[in-house]
Amino acid sequence: MRTTKTLLAVSAAALMAFTPAWGQSVAREDTVIFDLDRTIKDPENFNWFTPGTKRLHGAHQAMWEPLFILNYETGEMEPWLGTAFEPNASHDEWTLSIRDGVKWSDGEVFDADDVVFTVNMALGNEDLSSREAATVRAQVASVEKIDDLTVKFMLKSSNPRFAVENFGVRIFGSMLIMPEHIWNGQDAATFAFYPPIGTGPYKYASGATNRMIWDRDDNYWGAATGFTDLPEPLRLIWLESGGEESRAQLMAANQMDAAQTVTLGTFEAMQFQNPNIIAWKSGMPFAWSDPCARQIEFNTTVAPWDDANMRQAVNHIIDRSQIVNVAYEGTTEASRSIFVQYGGMEKFISAVEDAGYGFSASADVAAGQALIEAAGYAKGADGIYEKDGQDLVANVTVNTASTELTRAVDVILEQLNRAGIAAKPVPVENGVFWGTALPLGEYELAYTWLSCGSINEPWASMGRYTAKDVAPIGERAPGFNNTGRWNTAATAAYSEIVDQMGGMSVGDPAIEGMVVDAYKYYREEVPFLPMVQASKLLPFNTTYWSGWPTQENNYNHPAHWWGHTHQIIHNLTKSN
Amino acid sequence: MGRIPMDYLLNRLVTLFLTVWIAATLIWIIPRLSPVDPAEIMLGRMAAGAGTVANADEILATLRARFGLDDPLLVQYVKYIRNVVVFDFGLSTASFPTEVSALIARALPWTLGLMLISITITFFIGNLLGALMVWERSPKLVRVAIPAAMVFTSIPPILSALLLMWVFSAQLRWFPLTGAYGLFVEPGWTWAFAQSVIYHGFLPALSIVVVTFGFWALGMRGLMITVQGEDYTTLAKAKGLRPRYILYKYMIRNAILPQITAFALKIGLLIAGQVLVERIFAYNGMGKLLYDAILDQDFPVIQGVSYVIILMTALSVFIVDLIYPLIDPRIRHGD
Amino acid sequence: MADTTELSRAQIRRMKRFDNPWRNPKLIWGAGLILGIVFMGILGRLLWDMELVFTGSAPLKLPPVGFENLRGQAGVAAHPIGTDGAGRDLLSLIIIGAPNSLLVGLLASCIGMSIGIFLGFSAGFLKGRVDDTIRILADVMITIPPLLILVVFQASFGDVSLTMMAVLIACFMWQSPTRLIRAQVLSMRESGYVQMARLSGASTMHIMFREMMPNLVPYLFGSFIANVTTSIVTAVGLEVLGLGPQRIPTLGRTIYEAINSGALIQNLWWWWGIPTILLAVMFVGLLLINLGLDEVSNPRLRKL
Repeated sequence: MRTTKTLLAVSAAALMAFTPAWGQSVAREDTVIFDLDRTIKDPENFNWFTPGTKRLHGAHQAMWEPLFILNYETGEMEPWLGTAFEPNASHDEWTLSIRDGVKWSDGEVFDADDVVFTVNMALGNEDLSSREAATVRAQVASVEKIDDLTVKFMLKSSNPRFAVENFGVRIFGSMLIMPEHIWNGQDAATFAFYPPIGTGPYKYASGATNRMIWDRDDNYWGAATGFTDLPEPLRLIWLESGGEESRAQLMAANQMDAAQTVTLGTFEAMQFQNPNIIAWKSGMPFAWSDPCARQIEFNTTVAPWDDANMRQAVNHIIDRSQIVNVAYEGTTEASRSIFVQYGGMEKFISAVEDAGYGFSASADVAAGQALIEAAGYAKGADGIYEKDGQDLVANVTVNTASTELTRAVDVILEQLNRAGIAAKPVPVENGVFWGTALPLGEYELAYTWLSCGSINEPWASMGRYTAKDVAPIGERAPGFNNTGRWNTAATAAYSEIVDQMGGMSVGDPAIEGMVVDAYKYYREEVPFLPMVQASKLLPFNTTYWSGWPTQENNYNHPAHWWGHTHQIIHNLTKSN
Repeated sequence: MGRIPMDYLLNRLVTLFLTVWIAATLIWIIPRLSPVDPAEIMLGRMAAGAGTVANADEILATLRARFGLDDPLLVQYVKYIRNVVVFDFGLSTASFPTEVSALIARALPWTLGLMLISITITFFIGNLLGALMVWERSPKLVRVAIPAAMVFTSIPPILSALLLMWVFSAQLRWFPLTGAYGLFVEPGWTWAFAQSVIYHGFLPALSIVVVTFGFWALGMRGLMITVQGEDYTTLAKAKGLRPRYILYKYMIRNAILPQITAFALKIGLLIAGQVLVERIFAYNGMGKLLYDAILDQDFPVIQGVSYVIILMTALSVFIVDLIYPLIDPRIRHGD
Repeated sequence: MADTTELSRAQIRRMKRFDNPWRNPKLIWGAGLILGIVFMGILGRLLWDMELVFTGSAPLKLPPVGFENLRGQAGVAAHPIGTDGAGRDLLSLIIIGAPNSLLVGLLASCIGMSIGIFLGFSAGFLKGRVDDTIRILADVMITIPPLLILVVFQASFGDVSLTMMAVLIACFMWQSPTRLIRAQVLSMRESGYVQMARLSGASTMHIMFREMMPNLVPYLFGSFIANVTTSIVTAVGLEVLGLGPQRIPTLGRTIYEAINSGALIQNLWWWWGIPTILLAVMFVGLLLINLGLDEVSNPRLRKL
């Protein structure tokens, strides 16, 4: 018995005191381990223009650099590979200046040719379906090299937000420039780009379906030119943790430095076991608000949800504060409008609310039921509404990738069921959710964040639900815009105002009134219902590394799977 | 060694065949009774997954032909049975276009490994304990184990898994909460990997052992009481043979035989129980594959996993049935 | 004097126990545990607020009275055994959930038993081809683990009701009673009293239910209880995989939700622990009943 015990203890100790055993070994204190929330389907394919996990496993955080990075805290667009991006007076010609001295990791010079080549590749190839490539295709008429460090973009129509929308890492990623000397002559839709190269401070070392390893490139152009210092970590690892419990255990055991979002309870448990774990805020609610507020998307082509009154009924039945308290454990707040509740958006939110178009945090089930009854439904013996012998059913498509989403949908389903709507979950895997369910319109209701876009101006979000983006069911909604196929007289009226807003420069005082005017049509028909603000509770581990983004040290936001993570990596310093 | 009687072998073979055939048929019929047509949903899902795969249309066309989804039901059924015989369950909808059989092939070794280890341990410990409960020379303490063994046996492994996980993984943090090997070790024939596998497999195996050893112990106890009264035991004692020798060579050897038949009836429950233990520990075996498939409504995987587990059960029962006459001395006498 | 009375009292007790085999302590304890769960269900519904089973009706993750959770909140009397991660009162959850789990077991076992009695008698009496078919079918079905077939069923049908789940499980609970009854009927039909009854011209029905049934009761009871256990294990298995009734509280579903919400790492032991203990109590109760029944029907097992 004693021998067994000793044996156990020894082997347990031996196993806990692991060192990453991949490739030539780099000490744990020189390595940063990031959490990856999905499997890398094809680790030897780096063609990020086509769908799949080809960017957020370190490729666009460590290897490929963006032209600019939007600072969420200041609202400024900070230069990176680019130094300036200037529009003409009518915002339909933009001139990009590139930083001098940027080199690809194979020694080739990064210049205007690469930019022109990459943009032309996106313009000329419909198969490049990533959101960034599609957006560039939709906006750019032509691109032209002025000199080695200057590129001019001619747009199809005026767009005052062109730079930040396409090249500023506004949401998740940006249009990444690819090396012309490698991509030239390849079929852009099928080229695997393996092994990949980039301009960033880390080079691809090895990959598998559950991890990607990047080693520091000591010849990084940024250090040579004095743009930045070499980052301190010698090695970066993106590792698929495989769920909240294993995530928590890795963080508690110091085997991970930056984790994906976890629930409040798990975060508290982690912190309880490992006091070195921090998050954006140092106290409740710990979380950072992600700009993509959560919403219920209706497929407006499917009965009975094609009826605006039925959608309004759902709106009355939903108790937003309960979703906040139960599914999010108080780490977020109820949405008051379709906009993210950032300071820069506050004036639009108040304007909408003052006009009486706000959303209530609490439910008015009776009002919702009255609307359902008015539509000809009567409650059956089982408490579910029926019409012509058919139950009133709501199938809610939910992405199974994260506990946050499934928990929120559980609460919503319960609210709908108690009010008499037979609501059922349709759980789908991440790839199907984004690959087809949403873009092809193959859902009834879905829990999404597709109005996401606005940070400091209203157009980016409102512009996603206009009439011009309506695609037939079964065809891809362009850039996930208007996936609910909202297409009524109100849509037309709404779109007219919103399209007009699109051509006006940010900060134009007339916009506020126009938002209210357009919002009226949206609010009458509610093609989607804002639910709650998105909170991301991202645990960082300070045992080996300090300098993580926090509310006090707010050089930028903490979403470490976004393209701005370059900034985080450059800010990391060894903990003592 | 005894010989397996021909009619017995034939009988067992027919039962095996019928079991597998009925299970496969049930798995095929059930979804077709459902108001929503799963074939259509399956294809829809795959077509959905296809949006992200280059030559998806070709794959789907081959799939349609392979399963004859446009044929009359009977033809579909015949094709299905033919496919199932070669373990062709089509493609996973959640990880399109991976073959279901490839996913199962990846998970199966883990399940088989865990099963073999836990069954061996539990068989050994259980029978030894059962024998000691009867042996007059064993310490008193062993007899106290009887009620404990009984109580444990009535509890399904899923509950023991939860309790062990809470105590040893969540509270004491001696063992990992999830997985079959560490995230930081490369699978391969290395010592580090083996270590990691043992470390991760310990608790899942223990949860099964804890609740199954009692079954053996109690059965063995009953058999030992009978054996104890047999003439050959009395004779051996009279001859003055060492007690330990009598215990092993005379008593356990004779009592253990009927235990093996009892095992045949237990296999189904054991395997089903292990599937749930794997789900609790997120162990990389069939249980986790099944659970993930249920979460993602990946119907081909659910079908494939169910079929393979049933096949595994039926095969184990068949093998046990064959072993029994081979080692039963009474059949040897009959030769 | 005192000694003799003591002795005789003990003797009387012993005699009584012999006289009435049903006053078996194992049987009484087992029945007590199971009835306790039933009473909890009945009394609970009368005394406790059943609205508390709904999401968000209580604060989240409160511990039982006398404990503290990681957040430092103490348990409150309004939720004496704590609340779960979705703000449901655990007491109300188990008041509804525990009898539900028991109900599924009893119902499935009853149905399975009825099928088994019918098939067993048919096989034993009719012999020939009917017997062969039933025997082989029972042999075959006994090796198929019900859980896997039920997983396929529920995955294709989606949400099921509690009764439906019991009926489905019952489809796999008839094999062992069938085998048992068939074997007994085969041996009994040659026995004296059945031959007598037959010679005196009694109908088959009469022979089956008047002459043979009473002798089968102890076997049937044992098999019934064993089947209740297996049915509950199967039902819990389905629920823990996230199948089974989606919107009716059961112990298995509570455990499923607890594991899925990271209750283990957050040390919310009451959330999964209390349903686990209740299930364990149920299984031990059933085991004791079964052991007691064994002793009742097989007096040699009774110890003095």
